[in-house]
Formats: sequence, C-alpha cells, structure tokens
Amino acid sequence: MRRRWFFLGGVLLFFMGLWVLEARPGELVPNEGGRTVAGDFFKAAFQPAVNFEDPEMQSGEVSFFEKLGKALWLTVRYALVAMSLALVIGIVGGVLGSRAWWSRPNLFLQVLRIGVRLLATAVRSVHELMWALLFLSAIGTSPLAAVFAMALPYGGTLAKVFSELLDEGESSAAEVIRVSGGGGFTAFFAGVVTSALPDLATYALYRLECAIRSSAVLGFVGIPTLGYEIKTAYEDGHYREIWTYLYALLVLVVFFEWWGAKVRSQLMNGVAARRVMEGDCGLASLWKARGRSWFLRASVVLLLFGVTAGWLVEDKWGAGVSWEQRMRNLDRFTDEIVPFPVREADGDWGEFGPWFEEKMSDGGTKAVWRTFHLGTAAILLAGIVALVGVRFAARTLVSSSPRGVREGNSRHRELLALLLRGGSMLARAMPEYILAFLLLRVFGPTVWALIFALAIHNAGILLRLGAEVIDNTSSQASSVILAQGGSRSSAFVGALLPVGFNRLVLFLFYRWESCIREATVLGMLGVSSLGFLISDAKVSFFYDEMLLWVGLGAGLVFLGDLTSDLVRHKLRGKTS
Amino acid sequence: MKPRFFLMLEFQSAGLAYGGIKALEAIDLSIQPGEQVCLIGPSGAGKSSLLGLMNGRLAATSGAVLLDGKNLGELSGKNLKQVRSSIAWVPQDLGLVPNLRVNQNVACGRAARKGLAGLLKSLLVMGKGEKEEIAALLKRVGIKEKIFTRVDHLSGGQRQRVAIARALYQDPQIILADEPVSAVDPERAKSLVELLTNLAREEKKTLVMSLHDVGLARRFFDRVIGMREGRIVLDGRPDDIGVEELYRLD
Repeated sequence: MRRRWFFLGGVLLFFMGLWVLEARPGELVPNEGGRTVAGDFFKAAFQPAVNFEDPEMQSGEVSFFEKLGKALWLTVRYALVAMSLALVIGIVGGVLGSRAWWSRPNLFLQVLRIGVRLLATAVRSVHELMWALLFLSAIGTSPLAAVFAMALPYGGTLAKVFSELLDEGESSAAEVIRVSGGGGFTAFFAGVVTSALPDLATYALYRLECAIRSSAVLGFVGIPTLGYEIKTAYEDGHYREIWTYLYALLVLVVFFEWWGAKVRSQLMNGVAARRVMEGDCGLASLWKARGRSWFLRASVVLLLFGVTAGWLVEDKWGAGVSWEQRMRNLDRFTDEIVPFPVREADGDWGEFGPWFEEKMSDGGTKAVWRTFHLGTAAILLAGIVALVGVRFAARTLVSSSPRGVREGNSRHRELLALLLRGGSMLARAMPEYILAFLLLRVFGPTVWALIFALAIHNAGILLRLGAEVIDNTSSQASSVILAQGGSRSSAFVGALLPVGFNRLVLFLFYRWESCIREATVLGMLGVSSLGFLISDAKVSFFYDEMLLWVGLGAGLVFLGDLTSDLVRHKLRGKTS
Repeated sequence: MKPRFFLMLEFQSAGLAYGGIKALEAIDLSIQPGEQVCLIGPSGAGKSSLLGLMNGRLAATSGAVLLDGKNLGELSGKNLKQVRSSIAWVPQDLGLVPNLRVNQNVACGRAARKGLAGLLKSLLVMGKGEKEEIAALLKRVGIKEKIFTRVDHLSGGQRQRVAIARALYQDPQIILADEPVSAVDPERAKSLVELLTNLAREEKKTLVMSLHDVGLARRFFDRVIGMREGRIVLDGRPDDIGVEELYRLD
C-alpha cells in the first residue's frame, strides 16, 4: 500500500514539475535548425578530431594533442590539488563532527559537533561552480580560485561523511582498548580510525573521481580545463574536436572509477599471504610471505607524486595579477555584496527587508520553485528509467541460471545487460553540466535539456546501484517463482523488488539531494531558474543580487540535504 | 605507579539497575587472586553485567565493587585507567580490528602502557623486539604462523586465539572473558577454554569467564558461580555442586 502511494506521489510530482517548469511536449522535437545541428554534431562522434579543424591552427606551434594533453593534465591537476585541501578540511571537520573520540559526552563537545556538522552542510550546499563565481568575482581570474571553489564544498562533504563513518566505526575494539586503560584518543585511533580506514579512503577516492568531473566543468567559467576547450570548440563549430575532448574526459573518469574500485577491493579484502615452507616459521620468512599489494603501494606513491607535482608545477597560481590589484578587487567585492539600498542608506539594514521582498516577487520565488522542480522531475525520471533498466541489467537475473534456477541459453539478455552497464558507466562519467550544455544545443533553449541532462547522469548512477542491490538481495521467493515457471520479470516484480525497495528509495533520495544541488547551477546555461539569475547578476556586476541568489540556492540545497538525511535515516532502519 | 600483584575483587551488596529495571540484586562476592571462576546461567541472568562491574565499565547503582580495596565506582581519570590496565577484557565479539594484521591487534593489548604515540608506532613500524615478543605469545596460543595475517582472513577459532593473545600481551592481573566461545563448535570451544584456563594458571592470573556450557564449567574451573535473574544462586567448587543443580539454572 505504502509503495503504491509512493509511486503515485512520484508520478504526480513529476507532472506537477513539468507544469511548473513549462516543459511542453512540442519542445521535445528540435526545430529544423536544431535538427541540422544535432545531425552534424552526432555525425562528428564517429570522426573525432586528431588535429585542429581550423587549418590556421594546424600550422601553429602547439599541436592538437599537446593542447588536449595540457587540458587533461590541468583537469587532473586542479582536482588533485583541490582534493588535497579538501582532505585536510574533511579530516579536521570529520573528527570534530564525530563523537567517536570523546571519552565522555559534555555540552561543549556536543555544541562543537553540531556546529561543525552544520557548517559542513552549509559549505557543501553551495555548488563548486557558484563558489568559483564568488571567488572569481572577489579576487579575479586565478587557478587558485578554482582550487578553493572545489576544496570548500568537497571539504564540507568529506567532513560530513567522515564524521558519519567514524561514528559508525565505533567498535568493540575501541571499547576493549578504553576498558583496558587506553585513553579516549588511543581508543579512537587504534580502534575506530583503523576500522573505518578502508571506508574513509574509498570515499575520498570517490570524491576524487567527482573532483575530476567538477574540474572539467569549471572550464565553463574560464578555468583552462577540458570544459573550457569543449566550450570554445563548440563556439567555433568544431564538433569533431568536441568529441575528442569528450572521449578523453570519459576515458579519464572511467579510468579513475576503475582505479578507485580496485583500490577499494584491495583495502576491503586485503591480499592473501603466500604459503611458507612447512616448518619454516621464522619471523623473516613469515614477514616476506605476508599479504601485500604492490598496486596499493604504487597507488599511494602516484597520488602523493601527483599532489606534490600539482602544487609545485604551477608557476602562476596568482595568474599574473598583482597582489594590490587582488586586494582592490576584494575590497570592491565586499563593498558591493551589501544590498544596494543598505549601501545607499549608509549601512541601515532596515532597508534589507523591502529589497529582499522586491527581489523575491521579481522572480526569486519563481526561480527557487523552478529549481526545486527541475531537480525533482529529473530524479523521478531517472528513477523510472533506472527501475526498468535494473530488471535487464542485474547479473543474477540475466544469466542462464537466474537466481540459481536453470533457464537455458540467454546470450542476448547478457548482451543487453552489458550494453546497459556500459551505457550506465558512460552516463555516470559525463558531468551533468556538460551534458546540459550539449543538449541545449540540440533541443534549443528549453528546460527539457536540463531535465534530460540531470536524468541521464543520475539514471546511470541509480542503474548501477540498483543492479547491485538486486544482485545482493537474497530471496528464495524469486527462485520459487522461476522454478514454478514464472518469468524473470515476475521474479523481479514479485520477489526482488519488494525486498530491495527500501534500499532503492534510499538511493533515490541520496541522488535527489545531488540533483537539487546541480539544478541550482544548470540555469547558468540560460534557462530560467536560480542559476540563470546568478549568471545574470554576475554579468551585470550586481554582486548583492548574486549573493542573494547563491544564498537562496544554498538554502534550498540545505533543506534538500536535511530532508534527504531524515528520510534516509528513517529508511535505513528498515533496510537491514 | 606499577599495578600491584594479586588483586582481589570484592562485591559488597553491589546492585545494578538500568532505568529502574534491576539487572543485578545486591551481590556479595569475593574472588581471590589466581582463582579460575566460571559464571554460568541463562541469557539475561546478569553474567555480562557482573563482568561489566568488575572492570568498571559499568558502575554499581548500589553497594560497592572493590579491587584491591579501592572502590571502582569512585575511581576516575588516571586512577581508573591505571586499575583498568591490570584487567584484560575479551568481549563476546572479541573486539578485534578486522582489517589490521594479527600482530597489530595483539599490540593493542598494551595501549594503556604505550600511550597514543607508542601505539601508533607499533601499528605503523613495529620494532623487531616487539614482533618477536608477540610471535612467542602467538606460538603459545598456536597461531604463530598467522602473525602477519589480516584478522578478517582468519577462521573463527583463530580469531579467538588472537583475542586471547591480546589479553595476555596486556600482562594483566585479571582476565575477564564474556562468553568468548559462544560462536564455535563444542570441540573448538573445549580446546579454547582449556587453552585459556591453562595459560591463566601458568601465569598465575585470575580468570573470570562466563559460559553456557555446564560441562566445560565443571571440567576446567576451580569455582563455578551460577546466576539467575540477577542473583547468585550457586557458588562453589565444581565437585561440590551437583550436575542437576547446574542444569536446573537453564
């Protein structure tokens, strides 16, 4: 019954979202100009550029692949440098936001913990692209602005997740150390941090993969990463170059995903020790035979090398602008973020209320409402696509013996599953912002492009998570249905879906929160929502308005975050 | 201050209640240094609570628990840590860190003595002397060849031996073990209880272990304490207690 209401509510919310967003079905078919652009663009996918399309550039000093290599390196480099800062923020915030290191609770520690968690949530509520706009407006163009723009929200996210992992890692190992006279800190490090370390490292690697995507997207606000090259190639009409950049980005992200998965597997499962000769129990022999992973060691060395090189190689973190100029920029920015009427009235904040009301009725309320519905409609669409896809992508359902019941040859099903998994991987690898940028060129300026961009990326993620849930669900009922002649779909709908439903909903809410966060910036591509107001205010140098819209976006994400946390907390109890 | 040898545990009408519900009724009990005591009784009889009072994990809500004459409930901070460093605890789930190696888990037994810096050093770059000391200890519990193996790669029985080794490495005066063999088959349970009681005897350590198996209790311990509904209903040498009386506890 509850599931039925959930589905019904979802469908209603989806159509209400389309109505609010004024997404007309007629806009789903591109106009003639759009069709030509789309045709040319997709045709170019089969002929990615191996040289500049502009003949003049071909005879230039820099080759196409040098340019591509530089953009790739900068994308990775800014991600690594930003993550190194984010890790410091995440570790400090994660420990302070956790209760696992307390010897005994007291009011100060409670207040500190709640304060740090709220701060972490607030910092991550502002999208990295918005942070980038704020930093660029405040201090001018600088690679350091891009690095801080990523480091802050990523640091907040790491702090939040680290503190949760540390609290969950509270184990009886820590209790044994504490009860045996070890102090609170000793028990925390030896019993909690050591237990949680594989999860902490795995999550940090996952965020590095996200940072690479974000680093590419920052190219759209002028940082010379892959996004910058994609944007300029589009403006020049060089579609084949775009595809080369896109393929390079996909390879990069897929490589980091593969690498992260392999590191995770080795951290979680360890490496088996080699056998020693019978009777040879000398410590030296046992030490030599211990399980060790060269892959993990090489990964650590490479990461350290990459981060060090990332920091040291840059010879112009300040991007050639003098310190005095930056200070002047900052002074002007801090003056101008104060609402205009307040400035005019010599700092009388009584003027803020009417100004705020005016801005909200001028389009602010509508933009917030549209942003909320953009994220919600997209995640619902992604959820529906993923739900259908999971049935055909789950390994335990497509094999020749689904759920252990022999069914005979199913090569075509396995091929379809492979295609779905491959498609899901590509969808995950492609940043929503870049997808939206490209889809807007195909569909024209319609909100459908943004809905599809968000839905495609999130459907990829949900399909993978959903297939894992179904594959890991142990259900004798599904085998019974199959053994009694039922179809795979019957086993899925009748047995597996009811068991895994809460977990699937849990993931949906987890992604909904991310969708709302992304929705706040997608409007910057020119479709009416908060992002549109932000970029409009930026172009007009109305920093007071820009900050207001960024704050509203952050407030929306903050509320989405809290709601999602609350729902997931409630659901988690019902999934174990 | 070095812990004094041969600590005596004494319960003086010690009671324990959780939110008004009594887990232990005024317990009077004294455990002599070097004694091998088995607590036996059905689930919910109060065995774990009694063990919790012995190392100050729980504080008596009435009466007192004395260790070497000191009221555990009144100790705090450094004094409590000092007393605790002379009591080892093996919880039911063993309290091991699964992704650490055996030698690193055993090294955690000396967390109190080493302090944070010393323990981190042991975990990251353990010295040769410490490795040899731990290897000798693991040899006594029969798993020396597993010294550098991750704990989550060991069998259930091997993990129990690691927990025993960690307790011995602490060099305590008293070992408290809360149903440490509840998850293994009877044959393995027998060999583990035999191992722990023998080691405790050799090292002249007090051992207090809670068990479900009456046969093991009668065979390996000097003294059996039977509990039911938070009370001690039997207390004596195994030979002096009838088998029926013990089985009637359940």
